[in-house]
Amino acid sequence: MPESRGRTSEPWRVGVLFSKTGFMAVIEETQLRGTLLAIEEINAAGGINGRELVPIAYDPSSEAAAFGRYAKRLMVEDRITTIFGCYTSSSRKAVLPVVERLNGLLWYPTLYEGFEFSPNVIYTGAAPNQNSIALCRFLMDNYGTRFYFVGSDYVYPRESNRIMRELVRNNGGEVVGEVYLRLRAKHRDFAPVIRDIKALQPNVIFSTVVGDATIHLYQCYADAGFDPKTMPIASLTTTEAEIRAMGFDVGEGHITAAPYFQGVGGDSNSSFVAHYKKRYGEDEPTNMCVEAAYFQVHIFAKALEQANSLETDVLRPVVLGTEFDAPQGKISINPTCSHTDLWTRIGRVNRRGQFDVMQQSLTSVRADPYLIGYGRTVAFS
Amino acid sequence: MTWQVRPLPPEVSNLDIVVATRRDEDGEFLIRELQRTRARVRHIWPIPEVLPEDADVIYCDLAPGLSERIPWVPGEPKAALTIIIPLVPPPDLDQLRTCAADAVLHRPFTSHAVLVSLVMARTRFTYDQRLRWRIDKLDENLRAIRAVERAKAILMSTRSIGEDEAYRFIRRQAMDRRVSISVVAAAIVDSHEILS
Repeated sequence: MPESRGRTSEPWRVGVLFSKTGFMAVIEETQLRGTLLAIEEINAAGGINGRELVPIAYDPSSEAAAFGRYAKRLMVEDRITTIFGCYTSSSRKAVLPVVERLNGLLWYPTLYEGFEFSPNVIYTGAAPNQNSIALCRFLMDNYGTRFYFVGSDYVYPRESNRIMRELVRNNGGEVVGEVYLRLRAKHRDFAPVIRDIKALQPNVIFSTVVGDATIHLYQCYADAGFDPKTMPIASLTTTEAEIRAMGFDVGEGHITAAPYFQGVGGDSNSSFVAHYKKRYGEDEPTNMCVEAAYFQVHIFAKALEQANSLETDVLRPVVLGTEFDAPQGKISINPTCSHTDLWTRIGRVNRRGQFDVMQQSLTSVRADPYLIGYGRTVAFS
Repeated sequence: MTWQVRPLPPEVSNLDIVVATRRDEDGEFLIRELQRTRARVRHIWPIPEVLPEDADVIYCDLAPGLSERIPWVPGEPKAALTIIIPLVPPPDLDQLRTCAADAVLHRPFTSHAVLVSLVMARTRFTYDQRLRWRIDKLDENLRAIRAVERAKAILMSTRSIGEDEAYRFIRRQAMDRRVSISVVAAAIVDSHEILS
């Protein structure tokens, strides 16, 4: 019988898919931690309608196809309908057909390139109108109009750069170079990129490099003696986790646009950061991906309490429209597109490996995954 | 040898089911088996001029002219449809095709076959519905993108303003009127076409 009926104390079982190994572990492991922290908090407060929340977690080890296989295992063998997981767009695209055919619900806590809208996904990371547009404007106002693009070779960087190129050109700028490296790129792979940058002298390096390769890029940049004050690396994906891995001195002065940085104010964030550090260690920073992984489990719990069912057709309508006081501020799940109305912030890395917030939106910014209206009128404080 | 009793998938229990077949011994068996899934079963016989559409699943005999009695156009079903195939005469395959059924069930019925037909009909139908919903949303977004681009171009040329300002204008109008950006864009395009 479905888990929704009867008076039972059986646990609510949910699936969790983040890589603990491989080249994406640097960031995905933090999302796993954010997910587990929220689950522990919920259980410590008595579970959901008196029932414990139990994660069934697998490690797809940074391999996109493995995400698809584990999603199938979760839904078919473990009889689970709700899955928290995925960082890369390739892994999300591997899980998508499975949850769509078997009517599951994937909670995806990562920024991505937009232009997707599945009835079986709740998107809790930023869409391009919530980060790219503000970032482009900030960079042009403060550094100049000549952009150099460097990215990992997969779906997200190419799509994200397509959007960024349009924004740069529409605002009178130019893209002077564009290069993609394999996902498992090593230190030495960046040498030709650094030579290229030295020759072209852009004002900004826009990076869509993800995973371990991020660390190599920033370290090679530092080794080349470039100055972030005049030619920063700007990113939508480099968080406190990657900065910590590359070294604070290496990261200092570079720019990231994100809905959340550890340093944002507010009670919700102070308690989140305190819990996170207590659980995982004083030196462990939070970041935008941990935060989304964390708050999405709380939104799920809030909806499940009301729906009292893990059946997607019952749970999803309750999730849509849910508001939540997240560490980044007040957010809500936009009912027209299943994406999340999130905050827009621009941060610059300081020498403690944290981001100083240079700009932030006055409220949460409505998600517009198809860039229909553009978010060009976002007001900043 | 013992078999494990498999739980019913949530998608196929507690449904409203219409059964349109002769209520002979076999028909009674079908109704009982469906009721065992906690379904609320409504029996109708003979097949009415128009089948009801306020159900989750409809079981109906493959009868001459059946596709005329289905209350929706092919491709826009309101309920899952399982066609019951009689032992004789040979089935009218073209009728089966135009009914666009989600599953079939052969007389005489067995307990397993009834459950299998229910799961097939229901999962096939709900998946098709989700895909159709996704396609509708994509179409809607494409139309909205097109409308906004045209409205932007109209504003830029009629008001001699830049791209950003044109977008800002559309957004502000949408916020002031509490409607979507695509509604404002469509209104700008329409009024421009009437005026020019």
